[in-house]
Amino acid sequence: MDSSKNAVFDAVVIGGGIAGLQSALDLAGQGYKTAVVEKDASIGGKMIRLSKVFPTLDCASCITTPKMAAAAHHDNITLYTCCDVQRVEKNAAGVSVSMIQRPRYVDIDKCIGCRKCEYNCPVLVPDAEQGGFSGRKAIRIPFSNAIPQKALLDVEHCMLCGKCADVCPTKAIRYDQKPEPLAIQAKTAILATGYELSSVTGKPQYGNGDIPNVIDSLQMERLLAPHGPYGRVLRPSDGMIPDSIAYVQCAGSRDASMGVPYCSRFCCMYAVKQAMLLSGSLPLADITIYYMDIRAFGKNYEQFYQNAKAMGIEFVKAKVASLDAGQGGAVTVRYEDQTGEGATSRDHDLVVLSMGVLPGFAPGGVCPVGLGPDGFIQSVLPKMSPAVTDMDGVFVAGVAAGPKDIVDTITEAGAAAMEAAKYLTALSGKAPGAANKESAHE
Amino acid sequence: MSHNISDTPVSKEILKALRAERKDWIAGAAALARENKKARKAVMERLAAASATVPEIAEATGLAPDAALWMVASLKKFGEVVEAEKDGSFYRYALAAEAAQAQEA
Repeated sequence: MDSSKNAVFDAVVIGGGIAGLQSALDLAGQGYKTAVVEKDASIGGKMIRLSKVFPTLDCASCITTPKMAAAAHHDNITLYTCCDVQRVEKNAAGVSVSMIQRPRYVDIDKCIGCRKCEYNCPVLVPDAEQGGFSGRKAIRIPFSNAIPQKALLDVEHCMLCGKCADVCPTKAIRYDQKPEPLAIQAKTAILATGYELSSVTGKPQYGNGDIPNVIDSLQMERLLAPHGPYGRVLRPSDGMIPDSIAYVQCAGSRDASMGVPYCSRFCCMYAVKQAMLLSGSLPLADITIYYMDIRAFGKNYEQFYQNAKAMGIEFVKAKVASLDAGQGGAVTVRYEDQTGEGATSRDHDLVVLSMGVLPGFAPGGVCPVGLGPDGFIQSVLPKMSPAVTDMDGVFVAGVAAGPKDIVDTITEAGAAAMEAAKYLTALSGKAPGAANKESAHE
Repeated sequence: MSHNISDTPVSKEILKALRAERKDWIAGAAALARENKKARKAVMERLAAASATVPEIAEATGLAPDAALWMVASLKKFGEVVEAEKDGSFYRYALAAEAAQAQEA
């Protein structure tokens, strides 16, 4: 867990989401010293923020948390959180990564994660970790299963009132911490930088984020999560239990006007998954999915889609033209029904936009890795070795290379780790455990 | 601002400098804390009278319904408010302490 200012590793993994953690665990398991660089205050990426995963409806946290804990406690893995990567470049020794570690304003070695600071802080601000639906304190543990379980102070919302310092049993508060430049030297690197959802403010026809009760799919994940903001699914404008919920597919992808002409691939399946979960938690609610095409491409996905239809979820083949605020907090969906009704409209209590997937990392000026026309990192051997990039010794894993679901992400992360291990073996002439095994035989 | 922060390894001079440097952020945070305090007090007073739905809380406190729900969700997170029974299309919310007392009784 300890990170030092200038450190040398066999491998560096940029991104601490499920892809980065899987790659790091695979490398560390083979004996390679591995650094994981994460921009957030916790590892876990998007997956730890999800409720359940398709098509098995397993708890996302139950899959991700053990991997997070394994990475955090692995002797061969060093975590760097709150880090902004400034430069990734090749040099004679391999790959150098320079970054700035943003201050937590807390001594991470002293903080015991007791949350006394959080309970006593007087400033409440919208909690992005809960979709903005509830408040968080200026100083807080990022979320309940965050790793590391260390406090973090949002200095822009801090009054410097001193209550957190007063109650901290280990005197861990450091109001004067500064950003710290760090450098890592490694022989190989894996880019596992994930994705961001396109913004709901990017489409005027869908209200630019100004229509109450229009939310995005990650916000719905929080409403469905067991420790979500309300503990159940409620309408954010007034706390009403929604009777009618709609999904607008391709709300931020396959749309050249938003600069996202490609398909985001997993939105169909997460909408089906969320609809099934909603159908379980709100059995009387009408759930409608407005779609252009359903892409159920993976193993058992078609069956999952058919199960959703059998559960009574309504699939309307239509492109939604616009959304408007309706009466009493409703949202009016105007659409062209492609199966006969033509242009029509319907009111729903809550509308979820399946937003597009954008690259989580813009390497321009930071890392000279080649990109595809969609802005995701280009694989130079997409069929034979999808983890290989045009930078020798630099590999890519997960959504950093293009939209993909969790199953493919984890598989590709393992492949990237194998490519990196192969590269390291070729450099040294032997695998890291080989020397020990040889000496044991002698 | 009267709390003792001398226990932190930051000298009074450094704190003074930080306060000057972060003057605008501190002013914004202080304004927010005042608003939070006022909204929290109003919601807690309403719930002290009896459990209520979000629209009832909004009506009694003058908060917008979404702001009332936001405050209720925040208070629930920190264990001050609990969800009570369902009331039509809404849930009622109650003070955690009173709900615990009622349960004991």
